Amino acid sequence: MSRMTRLTCAATLLAALGAGIGAAAAQGQPGVSADAIKIGTFGALTGPGYLYGKLAMNGIDVVFDEVNKAGGVNGRKLQLIREDDRCDPATAITAVQKLIHQEQVFALIGGGCSNATFAARETIEQAKIPFVVVASVHDGITQPPAANIFSMALTSSIESQAQLAFALQEGAKKIAVISMRDSWGRARYLPLMEAFKAKGITPVADEEMSPDANDATAQVLRLKATGADAVIMVLFPKPAAIFARDAQKLGFKPILIGQTGIGDPAAFEDQVGVPGATAKFTTISMVKYTPTDPAVDKWRTLIEAKFPGDRLSNFNLFGIGAAQALVEALKRAGPDITREKVIDALAGLKDLVIDVYPGPISCSQTDHRCNKFPAWISKEPGGPIKVLSITRVE
Amino acid sequence: MPLSFLRRRNVMLALVLVAALLPLGANPYHLFVANLIFIYILLSVGLNLLLGYAGQLAFANAAMFGIGAYGTGLLQVHFGWPFLIAFPAGALIATAVGLTLALPALRLSGLYLALSTLAFAQFTQWVFLHWEGVTFGAGGFKTPQVSFAPLPVDHRHGLYYLSLVIMVAMVWFAGNIVTSRIGRAFITVRDSEVAAESLGVDLLRYKALAFGLSAFYAGIAGGLYSQMLNFVSPEGYDLFQMVLQKAMVVVGGLGSIAGSVLGAGTIVLVLEGLREFKGAQEVVFGAMLLVFIIFMRGGIVSVIRRHVPGWEEPLHRAGALPPAEPPTSLPLAPPAQERGVS
Amino acid sequence: MTMLSYLLLSGITTGALYALVALGLVVVNKATGVINFAQGELFMVAGFIAWSIHVQFGFDFALALAGAVLVGFVLGCAIDRIAFRPLLRADVVAIVLATVGISFMLKGIGRIIWGGKGDYLSFPPITSTDPIMLGEIVLVPQQIAVLAGAIAIMLAFGAFFRFTRIGKMMQATADNAKAATLVGIRIERIYTLAFGTGAAVAAAAAVLAAPLTLLYPDMGFSFFIKGFAAAVVGGLTSLPGAVVGGLAIGIVEALAGGYIHSSMMEVSAFIAIMLVLLIRPTGLLSFYKARRV
Repeated sequence: MSRMTRLTCAATLLAALGAGIGAAAAQGQPGVSADAIKIGTFGALTGPGYLYGKLAMNGIDVVFDEVNKAGGVNGRKLQLIREDDRCDPATAITAVQKLIHQEQVFALIGGGCSNATFAARETIEQAKIPFVVVASVHDGITQPPAANIFSMALTSSIESQAQLAFALQEGAKKIAVISMRDSWGRARYLPLMEAFKAKGITPVADEEMSPDANDATAQVLRLKATGADAVIMVLFPKPAAIFARDAQKLGFKPILIGQTGIGDPAAFEDQVGVPGATAKFTTISMVKYTPTDPAVDKWRTLIEAKFPGDRLSNFNLFGIGAAQALVEALKRAGPDITREKVIDALAGLKDLVIDVYPGPISCSQTDHRCNKFPAWISKEPGGPIKVLSITRVE
Repeated sequence: MPLSFLRRRNVMLALVLVAALLPLGANPYHLFVANLIFIYILLSVGLNLLLGYAGQLAFANAAMFGIGAYGTGLLQVHFGWPFLIAFPAGALIATAVGLTLALPALRLSGLYLALSTLAFAQFTQWVFLHWEGVTFGAGGFKTPQVSFAPLPVDHRHGLYYLSLVIMVAMVWFAGNIVTSRIGRAFITVRDSEVAAESLGVDLLRYKALAFGLSAFYAGIAGGLYSQMLNFVSPEGYDLFQMVLQKAMVVVGGLGSIAGSVLGAGTIVLVLEGLREFKGAQEVVFGAMLLVFIIFMRGGIVSVIRRHVPGWEEPLHRAGALPPAEPPTSLPLAPPAQERGVS
Repeated sequence: MTMLSYLLLSGITTGALYALVALGLVVVNKATGVINFAQGELFMVAGFIAWSIHVQFGFDFALALAGAVLVGFVLGCAIDRIAFRPLLRADVVAIVLATVGISFMLKGIGRIIWGGKGDYLSFPPITSTDPIMLGEIVLVPQQIAVLAGAIAIMLAFGAFFRFTRIGKMMQATADNAKAATLVGIRIERIYTLAFGTGAAVAAAAAVLAAPLTLLYPDMGFSFFIKGFAAAVVGGLTSLPGAVVGGLAIGIVEALAGGYIHSSMMEVSAFIAIMLVLLIRPTGLLSFYKARRV
């Protein structure tokens, strides 16, 4: 390797660094020009959290494309700027600061990982920039409410209450919990335990699984020993699939209750891979449709055209729903758009029907958890997916 | 020499000056990134003492960083200690843990040390996640903001200058350590433990010192980091963090304090620059790491040494000996096949 | 008693997965003295490639296995050329970090190509899905396939190192590279071959394991660290050691999970490793070599 080549390499690297710098000047409202509005989004583009980041952003992207094709919001095209937070709190704060101060975006939409979004809350709150949460469920993001932060995700306490209520409704007497204790799992686990306490019930067993676990024999044996007749699973699809497989293998057949993390029962049946193991599995979904439903053909076509090789997933649908809510608020803010007007418009969303969400979106000045309608879905092994019910949780 | 004004001392002084004046013309994002760089300089200088000077292939620095952050934050939250007391105390906790890690390191070397420290790092993560009553588990916790009153600065600028002052002092201190007996003893331990012992270097003492020092640097960095984010959770102290710190040391130059300073700055800026490669950061970061390692063997600092005078880092205090012979090749490591299992 | 036998059995079947990863690491380490930190990502990429051939494009399973092994081998050789050969004289940290760099690239590529196809891709098992009864105990056939695969790979490579010319050359290179050069072994080729075979082993392992583990871009790391641990417990250069190490870690995890609490499962392996290394600094199944000065 000659000296010149080395120097060239070094120079290229420096040039790449310089490319990161370049601010846009805006007049009046940051991020708004005569014909465009800049919207920033942050979430994990890399690392395991990408499902709730990158894939949700892909969903936002196709909604914005549709809006722009139809002429934009009051004549202004929407421009989406993505930043990676790797699910890391420090990186999320950096990403948000870059979007606000460097890119000068008008509004924010995004947030996949609970801790990262929670850590960035203060920065966002101080900037008084409208922010629509796509998928982070941590209660602390919306409670106590920040004037400018609105969540379109079913927050963790809503889901946890729904899980417990479902178990009771099915007549379960001995309810057990199996959970992941990473930040995703814990954000659900704590409200779940509180929901138990509120009903005056104690779970008969409380076991853990790691997101990468490859065996659940120990957990199944321990739960089986307690005679549990319902198991609330606060797990990602992989550990949940391993658990369902090993439960079937060891002849343990309780009601299995999932949550939005396992929102696609058809995929789950394949992931478990053992016939019959999902017979008593029911799960919550934040969206009304599963990705294979013909009702979402429109979105499937758009996603699969824009991101070749991808398949429409629930994670895309999360972004698609939240983006439509934001677009509605931007429209309602009128042509002389300001951040305050958008925040007011978001707070004023009432019974807004969005195709992918199970129930209408309603925000208010005091409650910024705008999505309160979980859908219960299940699938007979080999049969079609059924939406059992849509309930409202307070 | 036309480039002699670019001597190490001048460049470092200029960088400090730029850093001191930066808040005048920077937006909060720039300031945050600059503050992040100071923290990573502390981390990479500390890690270089252990890895580059004492030659210990340890993977626990991210854990020490976490222990410093958790220690500082938890002492504030649980006992109501003010930051200015909790912060050094947190660093001392990290140092104590670092010192105990030196005990297994006495018997282990190379990949065996790597694995046992890796296991320790995973264990630390587990403790952060599961010691709910103390650490608040995976959800992490908020830490109170330190007030710099009566000084006329807000939290952001106050912390920026505090980090800057601590960083400059600790880099200067590290520079003094490596030109002392201690630094030379580290290098003997790295190059040959048997030779070190036969020269009368007390292995236990110097390994412990190397582990303790690097943990102290990481602990200080952790305390500042917790205050910068006002939030502590397990995510920031995982193996990606470890990879970042190792990358800073290697990209800057193993066994060079100035190299660690440049390496930390480079990697943080690279990560920010990579934001432009939406979704492909992992690929580009991996490729860039390879390019740096393969084409700049010996790190940025060895490339600079080849072109600019005044960047040598002799192992003796300036003036004690005539300037070291120019381009010293670093690092001094045996070829691959001889460093396998010992 | 049934609890114990269930736990032991589940430890063995999980441990077999770790053993598969450890075998690849040992094959590389035997000849080169380094650990390929991208081994877990090779495992992941090979699994996805087999998935694409078999599930996405509907070709035969045998073709998927062959394709994955071939791609694995080529990737392994590439890692040798890119991240090992130029660094022969560099510090071991630089080599470790170079393979870490490769692992990031593979993970990113895996995410870009397969990351949008679903959260965890499922791979149909080669065996029947009906559980097998072993007395009172039930087994998933694929788990037996994984265990058998690990043992077959161990035996095949044991024979390879003992009986073939190339295998002996690899062994000689590992024992003393300088002497190997002196007797005319072209050690660069041996290195390439070692990285290539190590990656091919990872690929075969991935295809065997995929029905049990599911496929996702971030699966590599947890397998790598368990595989690394298994290899170290087994002494880093011993093939049977890697298998025994893998099974030992699997069993420790299962027992800790069953008898203490499931929250101890993940961490028990790491605690065990720290203790093992404190007592036997070069692994359980290794003989002390004289320390080089």
